[in-house]
Amino acid sequence: MKSSSVEQKLRQEAGELLSSGKVEYIIGFERGSSKFTTTPLITRDKGDASRLVIDPFISVNLARFLTELKGRVGIVAKGCDSRSIVALIQDKKVIRENLVILGVPCSGIIDLSKLERLTERDREEIQSITCNGEKASVDSGGRKVELPLNDVLSDSCLECEFPTPQEYDILLGEPRAGTPRAARGKIEELEALSPEERWHFWEKEFSRCIRCYACRNSCPACFCPRCFVEESEPQWIAALPRWQENLIFQVIRSIHLAGRCVDCGACERACPANIPLRSLVRKIYDVVDDLYHFKAGTDKGSTPLLAHYESTDPGDFIR
Amino acid sequence: MRGESNWEPKLIGFLCRWCSYAGADLAGTSRMKYPPNLKIVRVPCSSRVDVLFILKALQMGFDGVLVSGCHPGECHYQTGNYYARRRLAIIKKFLEYLGIAPERVQASWVSASEGGKFAEVVAKMTEEIRELGPNRLFADEK
Repeated sequence: MKSSSVEQKLRQEAGELLSSGKVEYIIGFERGSSKFTTTPLITRDKGDASRLVIDPFISVNLARFLTELKGRVGIVAKGCDSRSIVALIQDKKVIRENLVILGVPCSGIIDLSKLERLTERDREEIQSITCNGEKASVDSGGRKVELPLNDVLSDSCLECEFPTPQEYDILLGEPRAGTPRAARGKIEELEALSPEERWHFWEKEFSRCIRCYACRNSCPACFCPRCFVEESEPQWIAALPRWQENLIFQVIRSIHLAGRCVDCGACERACPANIPLRSLVRKIYDVVDDLYHFKAGTDKGSTPLLAHYESTDPGDFIR
Repeated sequence: MRGESNWEPKLIGFLCRWCSYAGADLAGTSRMKYPPNLKIVRVPCSSRVDVLFILKALQMGFDGVLVSGCHPGECHYQTGNYYARRRLAIIKKFLEYLGIAPERVQASWVSASEGGKFAEVVAKMTEEIRELGPNRLFADEK
C-alpha cells in the first residue's frame, strides 16, 4: 500500500524523536497480522519508525498504554486518544511534560462489519479499501464499489465532536471540524421504551457477556490498579458470568468513567459478544455534559469531574 | 418467591452519622411513629456511599435505597455532601436510563434536629415503594 504524506511525516518525526533522545518510546500503530487491521506498536528502536502507519483502521485508543510506560513517551493520537490523554493528565496519571503528542486529525475509523454487510463481501475477498474525501472505494477482485464514507464509519466516529486532537505537540495534517452533539440513534431508541422494556433489553444483552474484560482492558480511563471485580473481601461481583453480575460490572464501570469517557468506542469494538456498550458509556457522557457542562478531555487544567463541586450544582432530586 | 398478599416494602438507608443518623435517633427518642420498613446502615458521610452499595442492595432484593446526609453547607467534613450530590445526580439519571424506577433510589438532606423530617421521608418513601411493588429487577424470572 502506498504511504500517505501524513504517514511519511509521522515516520520522519517519530524517527527524529527517538534518535535525538527526546523520547524513550514511541507508541503508534503498525500493520496488523490480518487484513485491514492495525496493531499497537510500542518501540524504542528508531528503525521501527518506518513500520508506523496511519490509515482508517487505527481503531485502538493508544492512551491506554501510557499508564504502563515510564519515562518520556511519544504517542500517536487521534482526536479521541488526545482527549483520553488529557483526562489522564487531569487525573494526574501521566505528566504532560513527559509526553510528545503526535496529533492526527482523524477522518474516522472504518467499521469492517458494516462494510462487509454493504458490499456483501467477506473481508478476505476484498482487495483494497481507499478513502477519497466523503467516499470509500472498495475493490473486491474486478468488482469496484463506491460507498458514502459515513455508511461504513464506526458509530462513535459518526458522532465525534472533536476529530482534531485537543492537545498535541506536532499536528500531522489539517484540522477537521466535528459533529455537534445531537440526539442520536440507539440512546434515543432506548429512551422511547418503557423502563421495564429498557431493563429487559439490558438483561438480554448482558446474558451474552462472557466477562472477558476486553472492554475494561481496552479502555484508557479504566486505570484502577485493582478493579473492584477482582476484590475478594468483600466480593462485590461473583466470578460467575450471570447477567446480573455482568450488568452490575458494566454499570459500575460506566459510572467510574463519568468525566473520563471520551466516547472513543474502544470498548464496543473490543466486545466479542457485540454488546452495545457505547449506549451505556455515551449516556454517561451526555448526562455529565447536561448536568455540569463537562466534556471529558477538553481542558487539561480542570479538576476531574467528581473531585470537584459547585455550591450551585443541581440538587432538586434530593428531598 | 415472595407472597404478594403479605408483602411489605424492604428499604435500606445509608445515613450520615453526623446528621441523618442522629435525626433518626431523635425521631425514635421523641416517640414519633414511622413505618418500620427501613434498615439503617450508618456511614461516616453521605459521600461514603459508593454506587456499588446501591446496586448491591437492589440485587440483594431491597425494594428501595435511601441515601441521607447533611444539608448543603452543613457537612461535618465541610464538603463531603457536595461531592455526594454530584455523584448521586449522575447515578439517579443513569439508573433511570437503565430502567430502574427513580423512586427506588432516593436521597434526602436531614439534619440531627429534624427527627420529624426523617419520619416523613421514611413514611413517604415506604408508601411510594409500596405502590411500585416488589423489586424483581435482578430476579431470573420476573
